[in-house]
Amino acid sequence: MNPDLIAQYFNAECAAALAPLVTLAGGLLLLIVAEWFEPMNRLRPLLFVGSILGAAWAEVALLNAPVAAVLGGTYSADKASALWGLVFLASTLIAWVHARSYYRKSRPFLGEHDMLLLTAPIGMMMMAGALDLTVFFIGLELLSIPLYCLASFRRDRSESVEAGLKYFVLGAFSVGLFLYGASLIYAATGTLSLTALTAAAATGFSPMAQVGMAFVLGSLLFKLSVWPFHLWVPDVYQGAPTPVTILMATGTKAAALAFTLRITGLLPESSAGLIALLAVLTMAAGNLGALVQSNLKRLLAYSGVAHAGTLLLLVAAQRASGELSYEATSAALFYMAAYVATAGGAFGLLAWLEADGEHFTQIESLKGLGRRRPAMAAAMTLFLLSLGGIPATGGFLAKWMVFSVTLDAHLTGYAIAGVLMSVIALAYYLRVIAAMYMEPASDQVAPPMAKRTDAMLATAFCAAAVLVMGVLPSVFLGLI
Amino acid sequence: MVDLLFYVAALVAVLTAVGVVLARNPVVSVVSLLSCFGSLAVIYLLAGFQFLAAIQILVYGGAIMVLFLFVVMLLNLGGLNPEDEDRDDPLFHDRRRSAGGLAVAVALGSASLIGILRGARHLAEPTNGLVPPEEGFDALPALAEAMFTRYSLPFEAASVLLLATTVGVMVLAKRQRSIPPAGEERS
Repeated sequence: MNPDLIAQYFNAECAAALAPLVTLAGGLLLLIVAEWFEPMNRLRPLLFVGSILGAAWAEVALLNAPVAAVLGGTYSADKASALWGLVFLASTLIAWVHARSYYRKSRPFLGEHDMLLLTAPIGMMMMAGALDLTVFFIGLELLSIPLYCLASFRRDRSESVEAGLKYFVLGAFSVGLFLYGASLIYAATGTLSLTALTAAAATGFSPMAQVGMAFVLGSLLFKLSVWPFHLWVPDVYQGAPTPVTILMATGTKAAALAFTLRITGLLPESSAGLIALLAVLTMAAGNLGALVQSNLKRLLAYSGVAHAGTLLLLVAAQRASGELSYEATSAALFYMAAYVATAGGAFGLLAWLEADGEHFTQIESLKGLGRRRPAMAAAMTLFLLSLGGIPATGGFLAKWMVFSVTLDAHLTGYAIAGVLMSVIALAYYLRVIAAMYMEPASDQVAPPMAKRTDAMLATAFCAAAVLVMGVLPSVFLGLI
Repeated sequence: MVDLLFYVAALVAVLTAVGVVLARNPVVSVVSLLSCFGSLAVIYLLAGFQFLAAIQILVYGGAIMVLFLFVVMLLNLGGLNPEDEDRDDPLFHDRRRSAGGLAVAVALGSASLIGILRGARHLAEPTNGLVPPEEGFDALPALAEAMFTRYSLPFEAASVLLLATTVGVMVLAKRQRSIPPAGEERS
């Protein structure tokens, strides 16, 4: 290979674009080295947080000097990818902090837990920045395989093993769909590059490429947990250890959404209505499912499905309005940033409760929490209100941005249906809040709630982020 | 001649793939899988992808098969023998579920088949049909150059993926002492 070729591909831009990925991969290697000797194990938190912060620093550097496309146009580190990267890193860090107090110190494989957790954001970043179906595919696997293992990490619980297996089998099926679709697209067009594919789609895809695109979209909708691909969500979210659920609910969804927004140009124009319909059906499935739940973790899982529906409206709006719109991307980023803080905080509190026993995630056992642990009940209330989209929280502004983008794309009926669904959603969020404040505590099921500083700090951070996004959104919108 | 060879290889590939799923005896499944890999390699050769065919034989026919055989050997197969225990297993006998799965499979298969056939009808039109690969597509230098320049990110990321998978498999497969639930440790 001649030096010119090397210089053409591996230049300073490429190094800057890949710096977050390389930082995380380096952190992974150091974590493995840290397992060699006993005293080095203590470096583990330092290494984990250090690599996350290092990667975040590299993303911030990219934010100031974005790189359009590197490595022959297969990976992009533009502004949106850098912001998505920060969302992924925040989600991973929140999950890690809660995992620290969730698992007992004597539990084996804690080092392996951190290694797997650190691998997932590499995959997410590759998914968000992919300009080539191959890059996306490896990113998807890099995200999914650690999550399959992490979901069944508590092998002493049969639910956890079941969740891991279910996630693995269905995930493998969806990856199979993606590969099949990608191979059809390649056979029909002769390229896997999104830039070339978008140009080809503008002149009309052949039926074969359209079938391939349908398969690719199906696998993305599976990762986004959209109806009718959402059936795995309640079981997996409930069965998996709660810190892992944080990553699944926020990070995976964000990564799948980032890529789906990138490929809307490959979908036929007429599909906007169909996607919007799927979005409304997803909201209906999530909200109606959540109404009848008695377990808070399962309720939040269904609420996650409903939120996926809201996010899918953005995809429909972007398809309807034609080109890659700035509004849709920034609405998606703000929504996911708010969702990471909100769902991360809510699931984090659940992890806290669940560490003391499985049954403490029942809504029943939350009765009287407002009197017993006022600060915790207040935080939970804030997160639930933000999930419901009440003003002065980040969730309200996020929903407002999504619906205004949908209205701009002339999908008025679907936007109205979405708003109505949000109202239904309030019913079950308020039910939990009512249980915490208005119903008397039943002593035999009260969670002991051991004091844990790091979980408390993470919760406080999430609550502050939700409030700041609701009251002073310009802090975040200025970044976008 | 080439056409005939392709149809024979394709038929063998489909039949053996069905055999992998339907065979009750795991060893029969493994041997079917081996023949399936072999016939796929023949199809690759006929399509002009010598390198891919060689890799298929080496990696899948060789390494992956050995792994499968190891697993079959190491597992206690008593429970998997035909007519033994799974007579009572609802998974094998739930007609409604099998019918549902079959319906989904048929629907997906026919949808893609219709798309492919309609695509094939347009083959004569240069803009709409299948795009043949460039000359020298399968040549080793071209493959190596693509892998280490344009596709170096997925190539390197795949090694991270393998590393993470190794770690994960170790966690899942290692025999653990029984762990009491998280709450019991605290005082």
